[in-house]
Amino acid sequence: MKLLTHNMLTSHVKGVTKGYPLLIKATEVKVNEVEFNPKFVCRMIPKLEWSALVQAADQLGHREELPGELVADYEKNEDFLKRVHRVLLEVEVIEGCLQCPESGREFPISRGIPNMLLSEDEA
Amino acid sequence: MDRDGVNNVRAAARRSKEDKKVLKKQLKASHTLLKHEGVNTSPHPSRSLVVANGGLGNAVSREDLSAALKQFGDLESLLMPPQKPYAFATYRSEDGARKAHAQLNGQKLESGGNAVTLYLSYVDSVKNEGEASVRFPEGLTLLEDFVSPEEEALLLAAVDWSISTEAQKALKHRKVKHYGFEFRYDNNNVDKDKPLPAGLPQECLAVLQRCLQDGLISVLPDQLTVNQYEAGQGIPPHVDTHSAFEDTILSLSLGAKAVMEFRHPDGRAVPVVLPERSLLVMKGESRYLWTHGITPRKFDLVPACEPRSAAPEPDVSSHSGLTLSKRGTRTSFTFRKIRHQPCCCAFPSACDSQGGNASCRPSPPSLPCCRGDAARLEEEYVHRVYDAIAAHFSSTRHTPWPRVCRFLSSLPPGSVLADVGCGNGKYLGVNPQLVTVGCDRSGALVQICADRGFHAFVSDALSVPLRTASCDACISIAVIHHFSTQERRLAAVRELVRLLKPGGLALIYVWAYEQEYNKQKSKYLKDHSKQHNGEKSTGVPEESREPHAEPNVLTSSRLESKHCGDLKDEGKLSVHTNRTAFNSQDLLVPWHLKGRKTQGDEESSCRFSSRGEPSPGSDSSTSSDSRTSPDSKPSPTADANQVPGGSAAPVFHRYYHVFQQGELEELCCGVNGVRVQTSYHDQGNWCVVLQKE
Repeated sequence: MKLLTHNMLTSHVKGVTKGYPLLIKATEVKVNEVEFNPKFVCRMIPKLEWSALVQAADQLGHREELPGELVADYEKNEDFLKRVHRVLLEVEVIEGCLQCPESGREFPISRGIPNMLLSEDEA
Repeated sequence: MDRDGVNNVRAAARRSKEDKKVLKKQLKASHTLLKHEGVNTSPHPSRSLVVANGGLGNAVSREDLSAALKQFGDLESLLMPPQKPYAFATYRSEDGARKAHAQLNGQKLESGGNAVTLYLSYVDSVKNEGEASVRFPEGLTLLEDFVSPEEEALLLAAVDWSISTEAQKALKHRKVKHYGFEFRYDNNNVDKDKPLPAGLPQECLAVLQRCLQDGLISVLPDQLTVNQYEAGQGIPPHVDTHSAFEDTILSLSLGAKAVMEFRHPDGRAVPVVLPERSLLVMKGESRYLWTHGITPRKFDLVPACEPRSAAPEPDVSSHSGLTLSKRGTRTSFTFRKIRHQPCCCAFPSACDSQGGNASCRPSPPSLPCCRGDAARLEEEYVHRVYDAIAAHFSSTRHTPWPRVCRFLSSLPPGSVLADVGCGNGKYLGVNPQLVTVGCDRSGALVQICADRGFHAFVSDALSVPLRTASCDACISIAVIHHFSTQERRLAAVRELVRLLKPGGLALIYVWAYEQEYNKQKSKYLKDHSKQHNGEKSTGVPEESREPHAEPNVLTSSRLESKHCGDLKDEGKLSVHTNRTAFNSQDLLVPWHLKGRKTQGDEESSCRFSSRGEPSPGSDSSTSSDSRTSPDSKPSPTADANQVPGGSAAPVFHRYYHVFQQGELEELCCGVNGVRVQTSYHDQGNWCVVLQKE
């Protein structure tokens, strides 16, 4: 699971109102090399929940000096964009789980894939 | 000339030369066909006529036909053999027969909402097929007038249908309600540990006391199932599960009559007319061994001379005194006593407690009546299947559909896209400028996405773990047709809409019931041209066919046209034959699993016809590659599949609800805050683009 995906995921357990962002508990993390596309990263940034991204990166120990808040003029800051690219698209959780911050319910991540299925009474 | 004679002449003269020619031709054809039926027409006038197309098999009622015939003279008898497309009329005098022959020939008769063209020919004699009286199955008793009209009204009013599920309303399924204990349709048994809180309605007490006093039962029943059948609805043949219920089962018929069919394992069939307000008592063999069912249809064949019905003129009665009775809405109250010990009946072959073949009920499942059943059905016939066939399935899904690609390419760069039901990720990489995430219910398929470097997770389409209004666009390609109830299909659309930001777009594709559209067969059908088994595609309705073509002079029965060929009974899922037109909206589609051979796939694909690059075996569905090969039936253009052990290839069945024209749009209109922007038919699919307001 990449952090881009994590940034979009939320807990959907019935009754939970503060299910975002999910906490990451990783037991295996990998870093891949992914082609850097600055334009793409630029376009992605406004769609992200920045604080959630930073928190997630932190939990994985891959914060890489990401600022707590978005800097102005980031479009031209290639260095910054590269950092974002790395955190969003290159860092990958292979094994672990995602935890709902409100209910504590854990969703397993296995072979890089989060399984968000709920049981009948949780849906 | 007498008046009638003048009229005769005038009538004859009114027909143009062309008409006469056509009539002659059609009569000739009718003679030939009747001959096949063992009916020999005669050129010589006689008192008896055969009236082609004037039969019970043509949905013509005795009342309508005899009214038409009696205009020309006194009818001595009218014989209407059941299910046959003709009838025999014998007049008291030859004159009557001649007049009828002259005036009615080639004329249309309206009966029961249908119009048939009658062709009359003389016959020398009429065979009288008296029907042997058929005995009731052992243990079966019918008690007429068991409740008064007042009691009937009271009982009918006691049932609150307003809380029937949307599924029941939309499915046009018979309505069902349980009291006392819940009956489960997935295993045809009762949840004995979970009695329903309400118990049986008070209004039933009087009737049940009467049954006790009359000695029909010795213990009060504790389970009640109320079924409401509208005309055209029925229930498939079944034996009530032995282990669930004790011996005697009581069924009260209210509101309208219907015919229930009892079938013995040896093939004997006994139709039983259940009049309004009658009580059917099933015991012993009739309860444990014979199946009972109600054929879904709008008319029943019932005896014409019923003691209580308006007596027809005696001269029109005949030995096979059957007539058509139009069905009304019938409500049955079936009272049963829950069995707590295993069944030890004398019919072990049909007994689930004694290890018998309890599936006197065929194995295909029924349409679900509640959420739990729906989820279980989908687990068995969707999720389990995709997980098992994932690799093979993925290999057949490699070409994205052009119009879907167009949609994806039209989205602004940087848009957030959710592909709900992404399968093997076919669409996840189409537009790399989008921020795309996919999800699917099948772990195996999501794994394939991940292997390809796409972002995907496992989740259910009814509950997608993405935040509300977080997506610029969503796609749902060939997904929603896997939901087995209207409610769930609606919920799936709602979920897609929830994900969208205001102004966001959703694209939905579902498999269409109408595989042929604008006279263009879908690719799914085209590949099957040589194997068409004679069933009509859903194109031209039969009524509009003019009887110019010879074989159609005797129009065949339209009574049960819905059920021709296919083995479906209402509410049961039929297994579809791949690459043919659909006969019903809810079905199981076979998938013949072929193992992946490393090089074998490539090799076998070279052997197939120039249709391109088919996959080894199996069906195709909405998102399939247009060039997939026919399923494992031998194809006229391809070599037989050379997969070793191919004949033993496992077959999986996937549940589909195929959509009729307009149905998807209508479904989307049931969602607030969204508007249908476009709607179209694309290669055997119905498609919509929705925009969130």
